[in-house]
Amino acid sequence: MSSRRPHPAWAPWLFLAPFLLFFAAFGAWPLVRSFVLAFEQTFGPRTTVYVGTLNFRFLFHDPLFWAAVRNTTVFTIGTLVVQVPVALALALLLNRPDLRGRSLFRLIFFSPTIVGSIFVGVIFSLLLEKRTGLVNTLLHAAFHSWNPDFPWVDGFVMPSLLMASLWLSVGFNMSYLLAALQNVPADQLDAAAIDGANAWQRFRHVTLPAIQPVIGILVLLTVVGALQLFDLPFILYADSFGNGPNNAALSIVTYLYQTGFRSGDLGYASAIGWILTIALVLIALGYRWLTRGEDAAA
Amino acid sequence: MKSFFAGFVRTLSPGIALVLGLGIISAVIVALLPLQPRGGIQIWLGDGNHANLYRALAPEWNSRHPDLPLTVSLISGPALQSRMLSGFYSGTPLPDLIEVERGQIGQVFAGPLKDVGFVDLTDLLARDGLKDEIDPASYSPWTSRGRIFGLPRGAHPVMLAYRSDLVEAAGIDVRRIETWDDYFRLMRPLLQDLDGDGYIDRYPLTISLTNASFSEIFLIQGGGGYFDGMGNPLLNSDANVRIVARLATWYAGPGRVIGDINMYTGAGLRLLREGYAVAIPSADWYVGNYPVTLPSLAGKIKLMPLPAWERGGRRTSANGGTMIGVTKASKHPEIAWELAKFLYFSPVIARQLYDLTHIVSPVKSTWSASYYDRPEPYFCGQPVGRLLQRAIPDIPPRPSSPYLSSAVQLVNSVITQLMAITDRQGYVRPEQAAGDARRLLDEAQHTLLDQIHRNVFQASPSP
Amino acid sequence: MTPAASRSPGVARTARWIVLGLLLVFSTLTLLPFLWMVCASIKTPEDYYTHQFLPTGGGFLGIAWDRLTLNNFVRLFREQPVARAILNSVMLSSVCSVLATLCCAAGGYGLSKFVFPGRRLITNGILAAVVLPPVLVLGPAFETLYHLGLLDTYAGLILPTVAPAFGLYLFRQAMINSVPGEIIESARIDGCGEIRIFFQIVLPLVRPMLGAFLIITFLGTWNNFLSPQIILQNPERQPLSVAIFHLRGLYGADYGMIMAATLISIAPVMALFLYLQREFISGLTSGAVKG
Repeated sequence: MSSRRPHPAWAPWLFLAPFLLFFAAFGAWPLVRSFVLAFEQTFGPRTTVYVGTLNFRFLFHDPLFWAAVRNTTVFTIGTLVVQVPVALALALLLNRPDLRGRSLFRLIFFSPTIVGSIFVGVIFSLLLEKRTGLVNTLLHAAFHSWNPDFPWVDGFVMPSLLMASLWLSVGFNMSYLLAALQNVPADQLDAAAIDGANAWQRFRHVTLPAIQPVIGILVLLTVVGALQLFDLPFILYADSFGNGPNNAALSIVTYLYQTGFRSGDLGYASAIGWILTIALVLIALGYRWLTRGEDAAA
Repeated sequence: MKSFFAGFVRTLSPGIALVLGLGIISAVIVALLPLQPRGGIQIWLGDGNHANLYRALAPEWNSRHPDLPLTVSLISGPALQSRMLSGFYSGTPLPDLIEVERGQIGQVFAGPLKDVGFVDLTDLLARDGLKDEIDPASYSPWTSRGRIFGLPRGAHPVMLAYRSDLVEAAGIDVRRIETWDDYFRLMRPLLQDLDGDGYIDRYPLTISLTNASFSEIFLIQGGGGYFDGMGNPLLNSDANVRIVARLATWYAGPGRVIGDINMYTGAGLRLLREGYAVAIPSADWYVGNYPVTLPSLAGKIKLMPLPAWERGGRRTSANGGTMIGVTKASKHPEIAWELAKFLYFSPVIARQLYDLTHIVSPVKSTWSASYYDRPEPYFCGQPVGRLLQRAIPDIPPRPSSPYLSSAVQLVNSVITQLMAITDRQGYVRPEQAAGDARRLLDEAQHTLLDQIHRNVFQASPSP
Repeated sequence: MTPAASRSPGVARTARWIVLGLLLVFSTLTLLPFLWMVCASIKTPEDYYTHQFLPTGGGFLGIAWDRLTLNNFVRLFREQPVARAILNSVMLSSVCSVLATLCCAAGGYGLSKFVFPGRRLITNGILAAVVLPPVLVLGPAFETLYHLGLLDTYAGLILPTVAPAFGLYLFRQAMINSVPGEIIESARIDGCGEIRIFFQIVLPLVRPMLGAFLIITFLGTWNNFLSPQIILQNPERQPLSVAIFHLRGLYGADYGMIMAATLISIAPVMALFLYLQREFISGLTSGAVKG
């Protein structure tokens, strides 16, 4: 110990300084401020009035907020149910050792993620158009009872969003799972095969437990991402500022944006933001609690 | 030092080097590229026709005001609204004059009266003796708490533009139509399934069902609306209940008679051409669109007054429109006001605007102009301008409020829900839908009042 | 993964064809929107309404090649400030990613390789911040920029992205995993200055993370829509993501041009992705799989 040359005391601070400076200005301070703002009402950043818990009290019987919560929850559940199995299926297909062109397929499935949610939104808004959109034309060709007018009623909003979001993110999730699948210990699989287990049993008893932590992380990431849905509905339903027909596309973050930046009420927007944050923190804590045994076992 | 950099460069993979290089080069280019200098008098607007018109006037203006040349910027709707609001809220750059659409004006009035980003024109109009020159109903969308904040581009009367070839071929005489009941009764033969696929391909009337401003046409025509003259919401008035119940049975259910097209897209216009749409309630600015976007329908379109809600009732309504306002951020408010007056009161410009867009000026002294009587070949020889102008005095006022966008959204939501109920229950007569209509409108009114009471910046509307 | 001994060759071959078939089906579905977009961008407006993909006609393969046009692209560059938007996007993405990478690398180094008072507090604080949704601080950050006079400036958009908590977390992990303390110690003994140690010894050791984070941030900034929309008002400063969105508003019916613009927006990033595939995917997935 004594032969080690200690570093000068200023050294760590030198390296941390840029980060801490900008984090304090644009991360920590706004965080503190957002807490205060949640108890104020504003008309733009210039005009603020303290209103106590009025924002939160109003939030609890604000029909638009609850519509947003409902929509966002449905979207999150829908995403989980659709994306994770599809991603797993694709990863399993790509995992076969005798597959040629794996890189190419992976590239193809990953490409929508690279495109980004904005451009996916723009592309899908055209694909979903009445009569001239590809989706409607294909459906009408396949099912003659499908009205090519694609009535923009609330019932079709969620499927549209889920479709666009699936296309956008399935490659990303699939890559995670593929990497995990390729880390499954081969010797365990061999041992199971020698013991006479068939493919399904091998999957269920060796593969699945081995990739369970990654599935867990994927579920967490998907839920966290889905709860913060904004880009897709904002672009797809830009005419109604992201509301969609009968507010069926309104998500929590969209409502926050409308309140803060169209109506100028940064206070109410902060209140909404904190409700969302509390939900996310609870989910993260729940995840930590559920996976608490894993670190010990691994 | 040299070895320092050499060591650092060795760190870089090709990818990192690429991004680093891009960053340096592009940052240098951006820093060197000057942004367009902004000086003189600036106008922001969202309508291409207006932009062309005002730009053509720039040389004349510039010769009179060489130190303040005119710059006209055409900006898309959402971008215009976002920049305008950002400027009002946060002091980001604003022009001297902004043309705002009816749908965008609500947010501007949402805060304290003193914080409205436009200059209060009420006293200026009185000072210059101009207030009574303009048809009074046209001021209503741009007025908040009794103060006028913008000059109206038009009164925007609404008439029914219809496919005269189809209607006359079916032997229907539109002069016998007085009320909406007459209309849908006589136009029944034009509700057709043309290709036998079980879906109706032709409707006697079509609008954009999801665009709330069309329902507003019906509401204010029939004596309903969103707010009274004092700014109090009256979403659940008896008139509204009656009208909304009727609309639900027109838009949905087995007795559906109104089709849905998006009037602002190429796809929608194609449907007009194909004859899916027989008639569309059209404000003067929309009437101006037909010759430009559907030249193939020349000689096949005519105008008729809107059918009334009851015998002797109002036969027109209002829809859309823009105003021009002077921003408080302007460095030359008096000159900007002069320009606004020039653009909006000049008879020469009124005529050019009419020729370009069919918008009829709300300035009363221009109404006797002879060019309104000109027969138009596109519209089968009808004197379109005269027809529109005669409808103006009949236009109902459209009171604005800081809560206009909320009110519009709420009522639109009610209508959509009522449509779903109508479909499910198979309602055909308005009386069947009236109960649900009243219930939903009561909820909407309650929600809106909640919002109003929450806002600490507004003085509560008088009871 | 699957021991070959447990199956007969016939079954194995059938299985392989089924897998390949399924993959081809899914690949086609995935590529369909791209194909549609490319076709839409080279069609005339009339053809757009009448044909879903390429206009049929008398040419090779039954396609009317002569009716395809590059006019949408030409009009795009002539009538819209697309070139400027591209420049803005490139500038913002590269500058943000370089600055953020440097800042987080330095911060991660400082946090993990030194011992100093307050280290645990800072570490826990920043790790906790990773959980928070960015949208929470959107409003107050906007307010802060307003008070600093940075609204409608590039700096106002770049500076808030320079210190993401997630980046610090990633680099701290990378430093812990890949940089042994002994190397730093011996460099100090040899008389190297602290800064030289960082640039010449430490950074090369975390090169994979450097590349991965650089690219993640580049992609994130390129596709970012919300912040530029709120912070930048002058259209000359706006990146492609916002420019395309506003194109839809102004030219709602000009689908060909909109798709041409979208194609131009995603082409550079696609190209970058193809060039740096491995770094992309490993970077995006590294946080979870390797922990």
